[in-house]
Amino acid sequence: MRHPVDRYVDRLLRRRRPKPFAPTADELAVLRTAIDLMAAAPDAAAPRPAFVEQLRGRLSEQEHADQGAEAPRPAWRLSPRRRFLAAGALTAAGAAAGAAGTVGVVADRLWASGSASGETAPQTAISPTYGAWRTVVSGAELPEGAVLAFDLGAVTGFLRRVSGRVQAVSGICTHQGCRLDLTDTRDTLSCPCHGATFTLAGANLTHPLQTGQPLPALPRLPVREVSGQIQIYAPRSA
Amino acid sequence: MLPGAAYPDWEAIYADNVGRIYRLMFSKVGNRPDAEDLTSQVFLTAYGPLRTTAGVAQVRAYLTATARTVLAEHWRRKLGHQVTEIDPQTTDLADYADTGHCPADAHGPADERAARILEALPQRQRQILVLRFLRGYSVRQAAAELGVTVANAKVLQHRALRAAASLEKQRLDQEDPAAPDTRETYEIRERHGQAKEDAL
Repeated sequence: MRHPVDRYVDRLLRRRRPKPFAPTADELAVLRTAIDLMAAAPDAAAPRPAFVEQLRGRLSEQEHADQGAEAPRPAWRLSPRRRFLAAGALTAAGAAAGAAGTVGVVADRLWASGSASGETAPQTAISPTYGAWRTVVSGAELPEGAVLAFDLGAVTGFLRRVSGRVQAVSGICTHQGCRLDLTDTRDTLSCPCHGATFTLAGANLTHPLQTGQPLPALPRLPVREVSGQIQIYAPRSA
Repeated sequence: MLPGAAYPDWEAIYADNVGRIYRLMFSKVGNRPDAEDLTSQVFLTAYGPLRTTAGVAQVRAYLTATARTVLAEHWRRKLGHQVTEIDPQTTDLADYADTGHCPADAHGPADERAARILEALPQRQRQILVLRFLRGYSVRQAAAELGVTVANAKVLQHRALRAAASLEKQRLDQEDPAAPDTRETYEIRERHGQAKEDAL
């Protein structure tokens, strides 16, 4: 490896960070070609999950650092209620676009399974990239205090009405993905696989883990009541 | 992609685009450590100004514009030349969607470029580059596979890469006689500014 350009290429091949040098025009052409070839290598295909998690952490730190700033706040800094309202306003346009595109779902399991930092993970929201408001039941069928299971294919969960407002949480256990049941008392969701239980708001009550760490909360689902219909923002049906 | 669609929050923007930006950056720098750094810079830079009320297309255009400046700055610092650039046509990151971790099925622009480079070479040169770059063989393993000495394999690789570079250069000169190295700076600024306005 006599020349710096060869060292540079060698570092690429060893999956290391290459070091600066002053390349000539011909060497630049060699570097471009080497980079083009590396770009077809398997590690170009996806970022490491650990990296994705770490950067998410840094962004969330920045979020905390920015709190209290007067600048217009991105939606993920809003309170859950305001965030939901914002989501409703934003997605109306998307729903209206209406073309039958392919369904892409944000990988929400990342949020559910991540952050093993010791504390309870904050409750997340399932937010399909391309979704639509889909009617689940009429508002009249969900009186105050009632709980109702729903199944929209890609997402399943439970609706309830508290103080007049409708809430929805995912019905999939955050332990190993089994479908939750509503208990006979209709105030708890329980998992048939390992007995984990959750409140109707999604908080973890009991869990099977030896570590003593609670399971992540059940993700919320964006829900709205329009013209007497209760609608969930979910992936379009395939 | 539905142009009217919007992201409900920043979490969704991140989850949907982190892989795309990483793949875009990897295709421009060819190694994971740099690609990870640049991906971080793009999101940390875009986080402040980018409003989630922008549509999916606008968010991606903004992230791409940010990526363009971040990459230009990376090369300026690292080698003093814009070694690679993000094509001005790239705005929606559609080419950088997840290919399902299966390189054999991948048909993104990066794979097409690699295939084009390799096709132009004689068989032996093509073989050594495939083994070393695409399959991750060590020189020793590649030499064994090709039935040559390690020293021969090194020389073969050295010549193959230079031959490929020279063929690429010829091809680019034919396609675009204007010097590609000086042209993009203004474009970067203008487009970056434009995308910002769109997304803000």
